[in-house]
Amino acid sequence: MIHLKSFAGKLIFGFVLAIVLQLGNSALAQDGKALFSQNCASCHAVNKQLTGPALAGVEDRWPDKAILHHWIRNNQEVIKSGYPYAVNLYNQFNKTQMNLFPAITDKEIDAILAYIKTAAAEANATPAGGTPADAKNAEGDNTLLFGILTLVLAIIAFVLLQVNSNLKKLSDDKDGIPSHEPVPFWRNKSYIALLAVVLFLIGGILITKGAIGLGRSQNYEPEQPIFYSHKVHAGVNQINCLYCHTGAQYGKQATIPSVNICMNCHMAINEYKGPKIYNGEGEEVNGTAEIQKLYKYAGFEPGKPWDASKAKPIEWTRIHNLPDHVYFNHSQHVVAGKQQCQTCHGDIPKMDEVKQFAPLSMGWCINCHRTTQVQFKENDFYSIYTKFHDQLKRDSAEAKANGRQLSKEKSGITVEQIGGTECQKCHY
Amino acid sequence: MKKISIIIAVFAAGIALVSCGDGLKRKPGTVYMPDMGDSRAYETYADHSILEKKGIFYNNKPVAGTIARGEEMPFLLTKDLPGDTANYVASKQVANPVTSLNAKETAEAERLYLVNCGICHGAKLDGNGPLYKDGKGPFPAKPATLVGDAKYEAMPDGQMFYSVTYGKNLMGSYASQLSRKQRWAVIHYIKSKQSAGKAPSAPAAAADSSATAKK
Repeated sequence: MIHLKSFAGKLIFGFVLAIVLQLGNSALAQDGKALFSQNCASCHAVNKQLTGPALAGVEDRWPDKAILHHWIRNNQEVIKSGYPYAVNLYNQFNKTQMNLFPAITDKEIDAILAYIKTAAAEANATPAGGTPADAKNAEGDNTLLFGILTLVLAIIAFVLLQVNSNLKKLSDDKDGIPSHEPVPFWRNKSYIALLAVVLFLIGGILITKGAIGLGRSQNYEPEQPIFYSHKVHAGVNQINCLYCHTGAQYGKQATIPSVNICMNCHMAINEYKGPKIYNGEGEEVNGTAEIQKLYKYAGFEPGKPWDASKAKPIEWTRIHNLPDHVYFNHSQHVVAGKQQCQTCHGDIPKMDEVKQFAPLSMGWCINCHRTTQVQFKENDFYSIYTKFHDQLKRDSAEAKANGRQLSKEKSGITVEQIGGTECQKCHY
Repeated sequence: MKKISIIIAVFAAGIALVSCGDGLKRKPGTVYMPDMGDSRAYETYADHSILEKKGIFYNNKPVAGTIARGEEMPFLLTKDLPGDTANYVASKQVANPVTSLNAKETAEAERLYLVNCGICHGAKLDGNGPLYKDGKGPFPAKPATLVGDAKYEAMPDGQMFYSVTYGKNLMGSYASQLSRKQRWAVIHYIKSKQSAGKAPSAPAAAADSSATAKK
């Protein structure tokens, strides 16, 4: 009995010991992760070469652990000592100096190395599989349905008319009223007249639509030299529009970003791992291959420092075109007018391929100028319009005194009222 | 019977015409008499190669050494060659010409920071912007922790300016997105955030130590 008890005690002790050890180990790797992200992650990744080499298998590459520790603390000393692997590595990375970490302890280095080992093993165990999320939305178009319905109804009406005339003929025969020979429907004058009217209307609508559409290209969605998805950049990754289209705040042009702006991020991001992307035809697009196209334009080889002078401009296809006789200025609308980009360009953060959202017709411009209220508040641009400021104050004070809501005309000043529909504002 | 088929064909053609209006539009469409439609002068992004072929010099850059009105003086240090850090080290001596910002200028510097820097370095300057997200974002390297990391809090303004202008390691050059004045203003904003981050934490630490002392 006593023997059994002591055995049970040993067993429990063993379990506890094992659990404590296990916890200790995982705690080591956990610390390692924090230390890695604090000290190493800005230049190193486990499985990818960044500013410095990929660290997976680093312990196999440095056979002597003491030298590795020394290297991590003070790499310059190791290079000076002439250790061949260190010198080679230094030259291979264009003599980019690694930061010195004199204060880091052996225990911390071990924790980091343990983390690198587990992270490398994890990455090997799970080969990168694409997320199965199918982002394709099947939004049906109702036009065809309505067309078919109309056609069916028309045929039914036609059949009923035929039945009606046949029945009339039968009843006439019965009553003995002489009826003339029935006219086949394609020679029936009322049918021909009806058809002519319908065709005239359809033709008229088509011609008017076509004529209005001349010189306008709403929904224009050209293929670009690189499949650049605004959905991935501005939507998923929340990059501000003005990050790339810097000029929209300062002048007429919103500016197409230079290759340099692309490479700000894509020097490091060389593969696409987000949800699947599709082009207008519904075919899947390989994001990583598109990034390779960018590298071709930039003259960049991953792993080597980028020489920006080798870059060639990317010839994007322009989508929004205004005729030369119209003046449009981006900063006037974005800064002074405080308009959102989406007002005219549509929901760009949801578009894989950008298409022209607005018709960009004069009627469209004028309509917006008639209905949009000028934002006078905290807007230096309109501070000189004292007359309107006073009028607004007077109106709101009056409404307050009468205890009434401001009427729609008095609640604000539209762009039209400050001259936003004068011809020479845009045509000169 | 023949006539019925003609009528049906006309209808089918009409429906086909109407339904073709929607769908993918890869071509811009037709223009009727593009009078005053295209600019006679060279516009932004127009192809200038024809001028070059004719031997006409055209360069759409300002003359070298031009300083825009209201712009800061040029930064005289050039970009280091790969493997060299002489100018990066020398940049420590360059002082920030923007010594103070009023409330409005601070708001503008903050906006510029959020548009251009926050995407990686985080809206809270913690080096954890939407592109990194603790390693879950697409950017593989951890961006610098601007507030809370002694290395970047001790980094002089001039060296920051060097990095923002020419890029450093995996960070690219922001010279095309921010003017010199804006770059200095953003650095001033970062420095003020760093000192603001330090100021409240110091008394808190003191309070902590006094609390433990009482125990």
